Amino acid sequence: MKKIVIATTAFAAIAALTLAGCASRAPESGTDSTAGASGFAADATIGVALPDKTSENWVLAGQLFTDGLTEAGFKPDVQYAPATGTVPEQQNQINSMVTNGAKVIIIGAKDGSQLSTQVEAANAAGATVIAYDRLILNTDAVDYYLAFDNFKVGELQGQALLDGLKAKFADKAAYNIELFSGSPDDNNAGVFFAGAMSVLQPKIDDGTLVVVSGQTAVAQTATQGWLAQNAQSRMDTLLAANYQGVELDGVLSPNDTLARAIIESVKSAGKPLPVVTGQDSEVESVKSIMAGEQYMTIYKDTRALVAQAIVMVQDLQKGNAPETNDTESYDNGVKVVPSYLLAPLVVTKDTAAEVYAGNTSLEPLTK
Amino acid sequence: MSETATRAPEKSGGIRELRKLFAGGGRQYGILGALVFIIVFFQIFTDGKTLDPINLINLINGNAYVLVLAIGMVMVIVAGHIDLSVGSVAAFVGIVVAQVMKGLSFPGLPEGMSSFLTVFIGIIVGLIIGALVGAWQGWWVAYVGVPAFIVTLAGMLLFRGANQFVGNSTSIPVPQEFKFIGGGFLNDFGPDFGFSNPTLILGALVVVAVIWQERRSRVAQRKMGADIAPLWVSIVRLVVVLAVVVGATLLFATGRVGTSFPIAGIILGVLVLGYSFLTNNTTIGRHIFAVGGNWRAAELSGVNIRKVNFFVMANMSVIAALAGMIWIARSAASGPGDGVGWELDAISAVFIGGAAVSGGIGTVAGSIIGGLVIAVLNNGLQLLSVGADRVQMIKGLVLLIAVGVDVYSKRQGRPSIIGLLTRKRGGELDVSPGAKPAGTQTPTPSAGGAEETVRPPDQQPRG
Repeated sequence: MKKIVIATTAFAAIAALTLAGCASRAPESGTDSTAGASGFAADATIGVALPDKTSENWVLAGQLFTDGLTEAGFKPDVQYAPATGTVPEQQNQINSMVTNGAKVIIIGAKDGSQLSTQVEAANAAGATVIAYDRLILNTDAVDYYLAFDNFKVGELQGQALLDGLKAKFADKAAYNIELFSGSPDDNNAGVFFAGAMSVLQPKIDDGTLVVVSGQTAVAQTATQGWLAQNAQSRMDTLLAANYQGVELDGVLSPNDTLARAIIESVKSAGKPLPVVTGQDSEVESVKSIMAGEQYMTIYKDTRALVAQAIVMVQDLQKGNAPETNDTESYDNGVKVVPSYLLAPLVVTKDTAAEVYAGNTSLEPLTK
Repeated sequence: MSETATRAPEKSGGIRELRKLFAGGGRQYGILGALVFIIVFFQIFTDGKTLDPINLINLINGNAYVLVLAIGMVMVIVAGHIDLSVGSVAAFVGIVVAQVMKGLSFPGLPEGMSSFLTVFIGIIVGLIIGALVGAWQGWWVAYVGVPAFIVTLAGMLLFRGANQFVGNSTSIPVPQEFKFIGGGFLNDFGPDFGFSNPTLILGALVVVAVIWQERRSRVAQRKMGADIAPLWVSIVRLVVVLAVVVGATLLFATGRVGTSFPIAGIILGVLVLGYSFLTNNTTIGRHIFAVGGNWRAAELSGVNIRKVNFFVMANMSVIAALAGMIWIARSAASGPGDGVGWELDAISAVFIGGAAVSGGIGTVAGSIIGGLVIAVLNNGLQLLSVGADRVQMIKGLVLLIAVGVDVYSKRQGRPSIIGLLTRKRGGELDVSPGAKPAGTQTPTPSAGGAEETVRPPDQQPRG
């Protein structure tokens, strides 16, 4: 009797398993993602996956995306990765956006080399993937890349460092400098550094610039995670080891957060301030520039970048291919990603008022 | 004994029978209830997206590495230790495996053979490095006597640095073929019914195994003369479990074409079965509980404590190596930031799953359920587009509340929320010897001795 009951249960279960053949699998999504050939609904969900909030720009970008996409009639799904477990959570967030039926997913990657599986899944589900600010590597599933011209950023930083040194130390023939680069897991970090070195290397070779510590390779100058604490402790070490009785004239810093950390380190060592470069136009750094501490920063208007991203989304919605202006430079290892690059601007104490005109948060700081 | 056996059912009736539904693991079922509640909650609030096949596959693939780590971590915690180095060990193994596979090439061999060999060698190298790292840490803990907290704190720094040293602080991609262990699927075959056939077969195998297991345990109970639950209890339990299995099979089988139950999930399933067996049914497994519960007593009873400690720590690093490989397969690259904070994810899964901070108590299955609670919560909140800041706050509170409820109910002398509920309904029955919780009764030669041999459930080592 008992055996019969158990057997019946088993049979019923297996029958249920096999009989439910009426349910059919979701077919491979039909929409062609590469060209957005047919467009999509005007109120579609648009996913925006941003990295952890390590700089003011990311915080601002999220706000602008939420407002801009809502205004354009889309449903924005803007998510930041948390500060710990950043990469896995960003992967999960992108998957959630696909599940939520996002038609376009804009990704500011934490580590551009670790998202290929997720963007491929997004592509397979019919979503268009736009790499925002940071290129996604080793996959053909990235449809567009939108960023400021990062090599140009590096060149501008290098040139500004030279100009600043000449202006500040008119009497010197040679300058002592140190070099910092960004996080090795960020594709842009290497590009910034290469751009800067394209200007600085000839001057190092002819003796105009002297890197006292001798650390000029990317790996030596790297700042893991773009973290201020890492830059500050490296600067502390450099000063203690190389600048006892030697003056430090300039520091190439890839961004503002690190620039302020470097300035902090120099101050606490009791040294006179060198010419320090920066990037991103963070509020604190603009204040620092106006106070005559940090020498320069780069203005990459996040508003312009986000606005351009939303224009791309609107083009895709209508079924048009978005505009690109560089289809050669950005090879992600599998394909050359069609890119739209915006031009960055140099900001120093003299030009700040002019450049920031119209920016409600930065303009008041220049007065 | 015969007296208790015959008297109990007539006095307590259905409640006692009901308890047998949750034979043994009251604590586990409490957290299982929480998991079911969270799934239902999010299923409603995300308009059914939580149980969407693709989402479930993402859930498994996105959390497999943490769940795998939790299996090793529960054994470490049961033994009374902690391992803070798992994230760094996983990252170190990941980068070495990526480097090795990048450097391998077999010019003479055909394409398929060459990539198979590359992946195979990569996995073997990864496991060997995991074992070496484990032996290193196990030696310090077991034979030198440095507390595991310190050894693994050192390991955390050591292997994080080693990761960045080997990888030059950069990300290294892994070959396409390697991705199957972290994000791969079973190849579909046979006629197209609108389902993934391998998933159906897998589901059918699980169904058969569940039925066989239930039958076997009834036969074993009868043979040993133990208190057998009535047939209807078995049937109800079978139906519930089978309904879940069949439901899950159908869900996983109806994902996008080309998907199936994920391979990472199969690896996880095999590990859960293997380690559940190890912890419940083998000498070394039971020794882990003995050492964690009271190492002095264990030592006096002839347990080789050093061996147990060495095994637990070494095993953890091998599992961390596996988790690291699953991760780089999913991410398609090994990076310098891999594994940061994983130890804490694994530890929270274990504690939510009912392990005791002082050691001696914890189960593999419970830890997996604990890990799933966090995973489903995380996933559901992300589907609802809740920001990462608030998600972290919620996860923190869940951890605290889960362990808080657990500690509170233990103080009440009951194993779980369910224990609390049934006690209230049982009322005055607690005074009679027959009302002792089911499953704790052991057959003893004399009726009088039964009272002393019955231990409160929370003091029992649980498998």
